[in-house]
Amino acid sequence: MSWLLRRNMLPLHSNSLARRPFASPLPLPPASLPSPRETHIWYVVPDELKDASLLYQYMELLSPCERQSVLRMNGERLQKGALLARALVRTTLARYTDGRLSPKSFKFQKNRFGKPEVEWDKYDLWAPPPLQFNISHTSTMIACGVTLDLPIGIDIEEKQRKTSNNILSLAHRYFSPVEVAYLKTLADPECRQSEFIRLWTLKEAYVKALGRGFSGTPFKDFTIRLEASNSKQVTGELKSDAPSIVVEAVDDPGILMNRWQFALFELNNSHYTAVCMERDVKNPADGENNSLKLEVWRTLPFVEDECVTETDAVKNIIR
Amino acid sequence: MRKRGTPPNRALRARRPPEISPPVRSLPLAFSLSSDRSMASISGTVTATSVRPRLTSRAPVVKGFSGLKSVSFSIQRNGFPSVRLQAAPRQRRFQVSCAQAKPETVQKVCEIVKKQLALSDDTPVSGESKFSTLGADSLDTVEIVMGLEEAFGISVEEESAQSITTVQDAADLIEKLVEAKSS
Repeated sequence: MSWLLRRNMLPLHSNSLARRPFASPLPLPPASLPSPRETHIWYVVPDELKDASLLYQYMELLSPCERQSVLRMNGERLQKGALLARALVRTTLARYTDGRLSPKSFKFQKNRFGKPEVEWDKYDLWAPPPLQFNISHTSTMIACGVTLDLPIGIDIEEKQRKTSNNILSLAHRYFSPVEVAYLKTLADPECRQSEFIRLWTLKEAYVKALGRGFSGTPFKDFTIRLEASNSKQVTGELKSDAPSIVVEAVDDPGILMNRWQFALFELNNSHYTAVCMERDVKNPADGENNSLKLEVWRTLPFVEDECVTETDAVKNIIR
Repeated sequence: MRKRGTPPNRALRARRPPEISPPVRSLPLAFSLSSDRSMASISGTVTATSVRPRLTSRAPVVKGFSGLKSVSFSIQRNGFPSVRLQAAPRQRRFQVSCAQAKPETVQKVCEIVKKQLALSDDTPVSGESKFSTLGADSLDTVEIVMGLEEAFGISVEEESAQSITTVQDAADLIEKLVEAKSS
């Protein structure tokens, strides 16, 4: 087993691992906290995991309750996915604690609507960073978004995803009238398909950011669309040249819910990804671009981390 | 095997104190699930480790989620807790419930779910199966609901759709709606 040292890659001491099968994993390299307008995204590609002993390492990080949930999943593939998702959340959050908290030590609770959040312990001499997170997964990727003290929702979908039902039937049933009208303008079925998926991820990300669940924020009650450039928004800020993604209530069209900002992009050439984050009103931008900033890492926890923000792995960004 | 969603039973060994949670060292077993689910373990790449599962041949033991003989508590109808030996049991459920759906309805729901989630024919799906554990995401769930509406000629409201977590829930709701429609 020879591990090549690649740039940005965590060196793995294979000899020590072979001797101690359940050794505590090597420390994760610490990460700097997200700034007020930033979302950090860490994603893992399950197919990149070839070493089954890693699965045991990840299993060690989970609470007994989480382990049982993983084992309840129907089939090996789904179990691996569920395990990776929990390992991704725990290792990602641990990175931001400057080595003070191990992935295993995190505790989680649900808010009153069922959205998972960190349950922080009280420490005498250290205040843990108020991290908020959200995860999304498909069978081929799991993504975790992290912010500093701002509600966040993330959703990913495979670009190639096909729906069993007709797109317009689905849209009529679940989307707002404005969104349905938009999809109808797209004559090419493939274009319509991909726009449906992208819109779906945006709506999911918004619902997850709000944290009130699918039933608390019915898809039909809000519209997500592009707002033309150079328009003044409710806050009086001038936007940059590019059109931006906005959300409005169906019952209150024209009043944009400025509290929320979005990013839509392609990840790893395989997934549409939508991020919705609450705008940080405590640190308003002074005239410059106020849009959501992204930092993205591809990871295989304890094996490899690679920052892919400025690479081809993150493209076609719309905010 | 205990019902999903309920906390694990405190397992009793004849001469030992109760186990609180499945021992971590039983991991190698944990990745191969119960025989009635016929799941493959992570084979081929798993090398033998020095971990031995904590099993003895003397006392009745819990074998984690393998569905083998387990000792469990169950509340009998007369309200007194008792200890019963169960072999691969289907835990008796106490539901204050309306009538459950016909098996044919459950079967049809299973078919629609399997199709939507592209599950293989030998994947076991039953009334107890939860959509989430079958790998359904939110888009799958709405597609399943639409598939059910089409197959049964009903219309499911958003609030009702949200309350469906298992195949049985879906079947029960369908029969309720079909009955309401025909009455």
